Amino acid sequence: MEGEPAASESDASARPAPRPTTSTTRRVPPRSSSSPLILAALAALALAPVAHADALQDVRAGKILRYGSDMEGGGPYAFPDPASPRSVTGFEVEMMERLAGGLGASAEFSQGQWDKLLSVLDARRFDAVVNGYEWTEVRSRDYLATRPYYIYQLQLMGPTGGSIGSWEDLKRPRADGRRWRVGVLVGSAADVFAEEEAGSTIEVVRFDGATDAMLATQNGQYDLTLQDVPAALFYKDRFPGLEAIGPPVSRGYYVIYTRKADAALRDALDEGIGRLAASGELRRIYEKYGIWNDLQRELTEFAGPIAPASGQFSARGWELLARYRGRLFDAARVTLGLSFGSMPLAMAIGLAVALGRMYGPGWLRGLLAAYVELIRGTPLMLQLYVLFFVLRLPPWVAGIAGLALNYSAYEAEIYRAGLQAVPRGQMEAALALGMSRWTALRRIVIPQAVRLVIPPVSNDFIALFKDTSVCSVITLVELTKQYSILANSTGGVVEFAAATAAIYLAMSLPLSWFSRWSERRLGAEGVKGGLA
Amino acid sequence: MIVVEGLVKRHGVVEVLRGVDLAVAKGDVACLIGPSGGGKSTFLRCLNGLERFQAGRVAIGDLELTAEQTPAEHARAARRVCRRMGMVFQAFNLFAHQTVLQNVIEAPVQVLGMGRNEAVERARALLDRVGMADRLDARPRELSGGQQQRVAIARALAMGPEVMLFDEPTSALDPRMTGEVLGVMTDLARDGQTMIVVTHAMGFARKVASVVHVFGEGRVVESGEPGRVFDAPAHEATRSLLAEVRAA
Repeated sequence: MEGEPAASESDASARPAPRPTTSTTRRVPPRSSSSPLILAALAALALAPVAHADALQDVRAGKILRYGSDMEGGGPYAFPDPASPRSVTGFEVEMMERLAGGLGASAEFSQGQWDKLLSVLDARRFDAVVNGYEWTEVRSRDYLATRPYYIYQLQLMGPTGGSIGSWEDLKRPRADGRRWRVGVLVGSAADVFAEEEAGSTIEVVRFDGATDAMLATQNGQYDLTLQDVPAALFYKDRFPGLEAIGPPVSRGYYVIYTRKADAALRDALDEGIGRLAASGELRRIYEKYGIWNDLQRELTEFAGPIAPASGQFSARGWELLARYRGRLFDAARVTLGLSFGSMPLAMAIGLAVALGRMYGPGWLRGLLAAYVELIRGTPLMLQLYVLFFVLRLPPWVAGIAGLALNYSAYEAEIYRAGLQAVPRGQMEAALALGMSRWTALRRIVIPQAVRLVIPPVSNDFIALFKDTSVCSVITLVELTKQYSILANSTGGVVEFAAATAAIYLAMSLPLSWFSRWSERRLGAEGVKGGLA
Repeated sequence: MIVVEGLVKRHGVVEVLRGVDLAVAKGDVACLIGPSGGGKSTFLRCLNGLERFQAGRVAIGDLELTAEQTPAEHARAARRVCRRMGMVFQAFNLFAHQTVLQNVIEAPVQVLGMGRNEAVERARALLDRVGMADRLDARPRELSGGQQQRVAIARALAMGPEVMLFDEPTSALDPRMTGEVLGVMTDLARDGQTMIVVTHAMGFARKVASVVHVFGEGRVVESGEPGRVFDAPAHEATRSLLAEVRAA
């Protein structure tokens, strides 16, 4: 293929590489929809500030082909090898070993979060994304795609012996009038397909991992899950409570993506896939993982990469934001709901814990100290997992409870410091006037402690605001998750990043102002001043 | 009206009070004097239950604090005692987040359940009596030490206590402010208020006290009318204390 001579390739690499099917000398290839705006945006990201030589040269020189993938719930694509858990295996891993071998290099797996792999590719941490990434119009505008290495379909899965017989059955409402709730991997083809079909009878619930969706469906938290066929086949033994429902639906192609500048690498990989498909090597790999089917015979029929449809209008900039702003605002409401739902609870629980630790009986102090250490010492994400997948609370309840519990431990320590900072004489004077200890706390000590802790507590509130993004692991699509979904599905990485940041700022700045205002007021009136 | 018998207080191995017997009658102004570390303040804090003790008993009318009470029993008894005994602290301890008026009405409203209007009316009268009627809306930090202490006296008086305890009320004040506070206390004594005063202000003790108790090393070493104690001290500890005061 073209691009083999190293010298000519390095000359071409400073600008978007022409598609191999297009022999042209124009700077911008006619079929590419790259606009000046996206080029400027990419430059603004400063991920690739200077021209790089085509990655193929580096691969050949370094004898290593690095590819990005996510082994979380990654069977049969790429997952920890059961025989040797520190190494990774899977049909894509084996395919990449063959492809790298064809280039005289060895393949190196690089872990990344699935829906962020393309961004990491931009950051040059690896040179190709290989992880069940579907060919899409949007992605092929901003990245180079190879020919397909697998033709996937989507498989509906549901609890064994359920009433649903096929995807078509979901177009009738449930007996109780509710919508069917279908779990999908966020940003996957199943997400896109289900979203298009969603409406009065189907509600899409998005998970960060394919197996999370299966687990929640097996738990009975959701009705069904829509999965890529390979994952459905691979995990059917691990989720005995689930069965495949009806024939697979939809269809699409898994492709390898490279950066736009790395046409030579893309072409080399493309050629390699063609060779593996023709030689029957791919079939041997797929049969080993139980994912071969007749559909895959078509793999040999591709002559090269799938070309993006020409002339299709693609929105950028303001237009993109205008079209999707409703989704951003909905997600902002989720963020606000989680924050304002959980912070008052966290403050109340925190105060109770602090009071218990300072004035409670000995056994309670020990218990509460253990509570604080346990909650503080474990990640929020794990706590959300327990509330959602083990206790099986609804996502909103789990999200608010998780954030409230997690932050209550921090608030408790802040309040404890605040209570200790109130001079002992205040409590003694109150007791000497005949107040009960509780009245003295309520009327005299706590009001003064609260004034002291306003700045750190509002600081924590702002932190919590942004920590709500962790709730995406339990299907709540808040602002950060929505950004990720929109950026991935539309390619508007910069536009949505700016809009999302602006919304976060618009929401957290008033809090900062309140914090600073309260600090100023405390400064002016003295640490122990303030209105009752 | 107050009878203390065999009061023993230890902080760890340090014996702060080593068996104190003392009685205060209605209308008495009892001044407790003695060297620092003699246990005077601790004694006062045992009287109203701010501190527990290891042996002995304190009887205030029909109420009793004993070493044998459980913490809960002691807290309950102390609360009842505190409704009948006001206390004024060396560090004033005004409620820092409240105004002068709020400080004075707080306990009558919260503890006695008094209506707000009545409480305010009484507070105004008391603050007038201590010369602070013109600073009702001031915050404690805006007041001088002497002003704060006069508000603290009004705050304690607002509960209508049978006995007022003063714990070195002028030790944190300069001479002029000391004069203001002692003036208020002298007026109170003249009006027949029963008072127990821990103080280093010997002039006040000599002039106002009906009885002086001299504390030394955790005991009451000498008691008597101020004229007798100051002019003809019977105990060595008293003599050295008075010599120190004169030298200072």
